[in-house]
Amino acid sequence: MPELKTSTAPAASSGFSIGSWQVHVANLFGTRHGALGASILLVLLLVAITAPLIAPYSPLEQTQASLAPPSSQFLFGTDNIGRDVFSLVVHGSRSSLMVGLGAALAALLIGGTLGILAGYFQGPVEAGLMRLVELFQTLPVIILVLCAVALFGSNFWLLIAAVALAIWPMEARLVYGQYIKLRDREFIAAARVADLSTAHIMFREILPNAIQPIIVQVALDASIAILIEAGLGFLGLSDPSKVSWGRLLFVAQDYMDSAWWMSLFPGAAICITVVGLNLFADGLNEVIDPRSTSGVGGLQ
Amino acid sequence: MLRFVGRRALLAIPLLLAIIILMFSMLHLIPGDPVQALVGDYPVPPAYRQAIETKYRLNDPFLVQVGNYLANVAQGDFGFSYQNQRNVLDLILERAPRTMLLASVSFALAIPLGMAIGIAAGTSRRPGVDKFWTTTALIVYAIPTFWLGQLLVMLLALRLGWFPTQGIGPLISRTQGFAWLLEKLRYLALPVLAFGIHEGMRIARIMRASVIDTLSQGYIITARAKGLSRGRIIRSHVMRNSSLPLVTIAGYAFGSALGGAVLLETVFTWPGLGLLLVDSIRLRDNMTVIGVVIFSALAVIAMNLIVDLLYAALDPRIRTTR
Amino acid sequence: MSLSPLLDVRDLKVHLRLGPNVVKAIDGVDFRIMPGECVGIVGESGSGKSTMARAITRLMPNVNIAELSGELSFEGQDILAMPDGALRALRRGRGFSMIFQDPLGYLNPTQRVGRQIEEALSCDSSRGSNRNRVHTLLDEVGLPDPANVARRYPHELSGGMRQRVMIAIALASDPQLLFADEPTTALDATVQLQVLQTLYRLHKERNMAMAIITHDLGVVAELCDRVYVMRAGKVIESAETVRLFEHPQQDYSRRLIELSTRRLPRELQA
Repeated sequence: MPELKTSTAPAASSGFSIGSWQVHVANLFGTRHGALGASILLVLLLVAITAPLIAPYSPLEQTQASLAPPSSQFLFGTDNIGRDVFSLVVHGSRSSLMVGLGAALAALLIGGTLGILAGYFQGPVEAGLMRLVELFQTLPVIILVLCAVALFGSNFWLLIAAVALAIWPMEARLVYGQYIKLRDREFIAAARVADLSTAHIMFREILPNAIQPIIVQVALDASIAILIEAGLGFLGLSDPSKVSWGRLLFVAQDYMDSAWWMSLFPGAAICITVVGLNLFADGLNEVIDPRSTSGVGGLQ
Repeated sequence: MLRFVGRRALLAIPLLLAIIILMFSMLHLIPGDPVQALVGDYPVPPAYRQAIETKYRLNDPFLVQVGNYLANVAQGDFGFSYQNQRNVLDLILERAPRTMLLASVSFALAIPLGMAIGIAAGTSRRPGVDKFWTTTALIVYAIPTFWLGQLLVMLLALRLGWFPTQGIGPLISRTQGFAWLLEKLRYLALPVLAFGIHEGMRIARIMRASVIDTLSQGYIITARAKGLSRGRIIRSHVMRNSSLPLVTIAGYAFGSALGGAVLLETVFTWPGLGLLLVDSIRLRDNMTVIGVVIFSALAVIAMNLIVDLLYAALDPRIRTTR
Repeated sequence: MSLSPLLDVRDLKVHLRLGPNVVKAIDGVDFRIMPGECVGIVGESGSGKSTMARAITRLMPNVNIAELSGELSFEGQDILAMPDGALRALRRGRGFSMIFQDPLGYLNPTQRVGRQIEEALSCDSSRGSNRNRVHTLLDEVGLPDPANVARRYPHELSGGMRQRVMIAIALASDPQLLFADEPTTALDATVQLQVLQTLYRLHKERNMAMAIITHDLGVVAELCDRVYVMRAGKVIESAETVRLFEHPQQDYSRRLIELSTRRLPRELQA
């Protein structure tokens, strides 16, 4: 089909080079979801970095007014011991984002490494690692994290490690799947024939081709990590020395009848963050796989 | 087909064993006195300490301890909760039906809701309809169940007074028959709403993607060529075929929920397995923690087997090829 | 045979939007089928012949259509302007049907074959008589033991059997016109011939018009009265089959004939 083939070849179908980064970012902002998600994340990042400048009060400062409703003085009201909820929410972004990013990256490191190993070395290594993944996926994520916290306590860094421990199997599955898909392709075979080293094939030939869906998964992992951290906080099991949105909801649970603002604003902050990450991942997916949106949908 | 399911069941056994061993080993990683690690932070009378040491062979090599523990579990002995002064198994058996009730009713709401939204979004010829539901599902799914629960309590229970804020109602009720059922339903309503909406959105997202995949299949063209109406095509060709991936994911989610909807039960003080787990963790009642975790793994594994059966029932190709 | 054509297509254009480009898949095609006639449409893959069949039967997959225009009339009714309901009625009874290259993909894997045929029957009647009609159809398309075949799932049948099931589905609505899109391309050589023979028999027995879309002029030589040769979205030549083989007007047609003469002819019509 000469006509169809020449005119429809996608502009950037394969490969991933530094030069195409700008193209991808431009495309990401070209999709409605991607632009919105990326903007939300940028704003959140900015808030987290400049938290002390934005927050009118220190998160530990107890004002005279406890359980005061939202007003011009206290934008989001105050909590049971008179702390400014707005300042708390602003400062809470730090631990949420840190857990999200930290756990997702740690999961990528663990899952990615094991996935690569399983995908590259076939045979018993592959089988063993996949069994391990299955084992970890049998227990619900939240229960896994709770167990870890129950046994080892809720220090902030331990918490990140626990969340990472719970979500790495998803990452491992994805990386493994990508490797399986790519390892038999021609260009990998060509690299083998050219007698390139194993490490070179892994990191220079396979990784660049597998990276896009992995970035999407990292964004989704981060959203799951943030939800888990919020959940732990809500159960009162997060690090008590850190302000976190989940922990604010834990306190709010006892004041639902008198101070709705203590629940509404931290909860909304969690939602916005998670929506931002999901939109970002959606946009990224669209850029990677433009088919998903260009066609006409539905049942005719 | 029986052989296929039988083989899957055999594969599940080592998985369960591994989890039990893993949990028991984790207990040993807790620093400090092993007896205290098993019992929790309570002063333990010397006689009881002695009994624990003998029962769990704490002075024997690690492997003997693990084997011994496995033997106990195999006999249904999950240990004794010092905190509750009851057998862990009894505690679990008391709590499990409540969690099961909550999870079943929630999924009975979530599955039709999610499938309807997924099919509406996936089959609609107007892009606006698809966009609306996709965005709605994305945003609503991002709401944590426990916060959604709090919002519902504040609005529907505290502000409007339609539903009780928490609990499962009085254990001894003066009402009977239909009135009793109605009373129970009032307590069930809010947790089910929060859980059902959340899971419903998850199902909607999966269903939509699956419907779109199904619509690209040739047999949909055949169905159109037959002159079937849209409704008929959806009923007899889209729904069943699109449900296949849904079965796996919804099955896993349901299995996890059976193991304890931890956060949801905490919001509504619903005394199921999840609340038991959280309370035990707070009180460092580790015997109970391990018991609940093993039970929840069992629930997930059992659900996975049911998923395999359902899959085979829905897809004739699996019945004959494996 | 009446003198007015069963299907009359004038200046059909189908332009598809693919990313930033517009592809002229069909660019101004005239096309005619008389009642009870068998017509071949040949061309290499990508020449637009399948797209044309899909456009005429209004069975386009989900693609972004930039332009769809022309006159499409079936028994004097305008197909393009036809509302969904009337189109469905035409597909359900005495209208047109279509069979496809890949019968496995075009049969629902989770439904028994019998049910899929029953669904296509021109009008619903009692369950028992529907079953009889399904068995009659299966018998008519040359499948032995219809009762047994009807209970099978598509993956349990061979490629040839599946294509026969597809034909039975297409015949269930008693069509006056059958589009066959590469009906034998995916089949083994021996099975190909059997399926073609069956199609030819049904064409004659039912006095049903057929449009056979293929890249294989051998198939056309065996079955068709007239041929349209398509290339790059246009009909470049149309003639009686015998005329085309004896005096091709275009180099392209000549090349197609040369390519296929090695397998020619089996003289089915004799």
